[in-house]
Amino acid sequence: MFELRFFEIYRSQEYLFLLFDGILVSTALTIFGGIFGFIIAFILAALIYWRVFGISFISTCYVDFIRNTPLIVQIFFITFGLPALFGYVWPFWCHALLALTINFSGYFAEILRSGYESTPKGQIEAASALNLNKKIVFRKIILPQTIIKMFPSLSSQFIFIFLTTGIISEIGVTDLTHAGLFIDSRIFRSFEIFIVLTFLYIVMSLVYKSSLEIIFKISLGRRAL
Amino acid sequence: MEGLIINILGKPEGIIISQLIAACRFTIYLSLIAFVGGGILGILITFLRIIPNKFLNKFSFSYVWLFQSVPLLMLLFLTGLGVPRLLGYDIDPWIAATLSLVIFTSAYLSEVWRGSIIAVSQGQWEAAKSINLNFTLSLVLVIIPQAFKYSVAPTISFLIQIIKGTSLAYIIGFQDLMLLGKRWANAPVPGSEPFIIFPIMAVMYFCLCYPLAVYAKHLEKKILINN
Repeated sequence: MFELRFFEIYRSQEYLFLLFDGILVSTALTIFGGIFGFIIAFILAALIYWRVFGISFISTCYVDFIRNTPLIVQIFFITFGLPALFGYVWPFWCHALLALTINFSGYFAEILRSGYESTPKGQIEAASALNLNKKIVFRKIILPQTIIKMFPSLSSQFIFIFLTTGIISEIGVTDLTHAGLFIDSRIFRSFEIFIVLTFLYIVMSLVYKSSLEIIFKISLGRRAL
Repeated sequence: MEGLIINILGKPEGIIISQLIAACRFTIYLSLIAFVGGGILGILITFLRIIPNKFLNKFSFSYVWLFQSVPLLMLLFLTGLGVPRLLGYDIDPWIAATLSLVIFTSAYLSEVWRGSIIAVSQGQWEAAKSINLNFTLSLVLVIIPQAFKYSVAPTISFLIQIIKGTSLAYIIGFQDLMLLGKRWANAPVPGSEPFIIFPIMAVMYFCLCYPLAVYAKHLEKKILINN
């Protein structure tokens, strides 16, 4: 009826290199997007938590808007809309990185904000009874607890967004999905190539998950006890 | 309705917006089908995960693990492009999109529901057993009514994920808001530039998702207050 011909993918050195390059591009974009997104999210969440007049409202709107629109629409707007509007030319991966950063920042900001707000009130009152100022309370009491408590949510959100990054291939970034689609266009073995891609995505998400756990254990594990 | 929008907004924009609103219909249909279908499959998987049978537990655990790890995009590619080419006949984009979204939804929803069943205290199971209810009866009469209130908010939040997920279905040629909007953005019509179309689409998705997000947040707060 049908036969599976995986060997057409792995026997060709060119395809293996393509897939490997794709893995590198996907990884780099996701990780840098995650890091930059986390930095922005950190600022946004702090602004929302401290109720800075006006800015906190704008930040809330930004976070809600990012979280309630699909990543693909954001990517298309950033890639095709913004350059047409402002007349700049960037390579594709820059657009993808910007879009992923914005997407990550929205989700991470929401997680961090709910973490900040779930800090027990008694602790903050106790700290102000000890005459600690707002900054120190935030840095020494709210932040460490939030990071420890919210680390699982942050890491699963990171993995979840990583799994949707395949769509950056739509704007021409040579990521893993793009490599897969290219090989598919050469050998017409769609089923096999997508199975291979799925397998690679699963392996990559497992690697990320375990390395995030290791990072957590090394940096914060002792405090979590 | 369409004439009214065209009258208000003028020729190109009015037509585009009324077409986009019409295409929203398919996004909503696909989300609802995925939600209902995924919900039914999810109930089954949740049931298999909590019944006292090691093999079925393991099976449903692996199902959830596998389909939570497989990207939705790959599911769409596999059902929309991979399987048709392997078997040698065409599969309608509707079927492929529905199938992959149902699988995707069922894996996540069954995880949510298992969590809310676990959130009901173990004492309730024991109490149900002590009045001689068997497993199914104690699940249906005692545990699920209590687990229900924990599960509503995350289920609605997940519905948002489904609506956003349907935007990927355009990749296999599913005619929804995304595909139509992209087509308009590519069209060389003045007034349909990408920086106009994509924000409009984003606003439309936002209008679909945000009420659900607000409702889910409201429910979460209610549960927190009750506890």
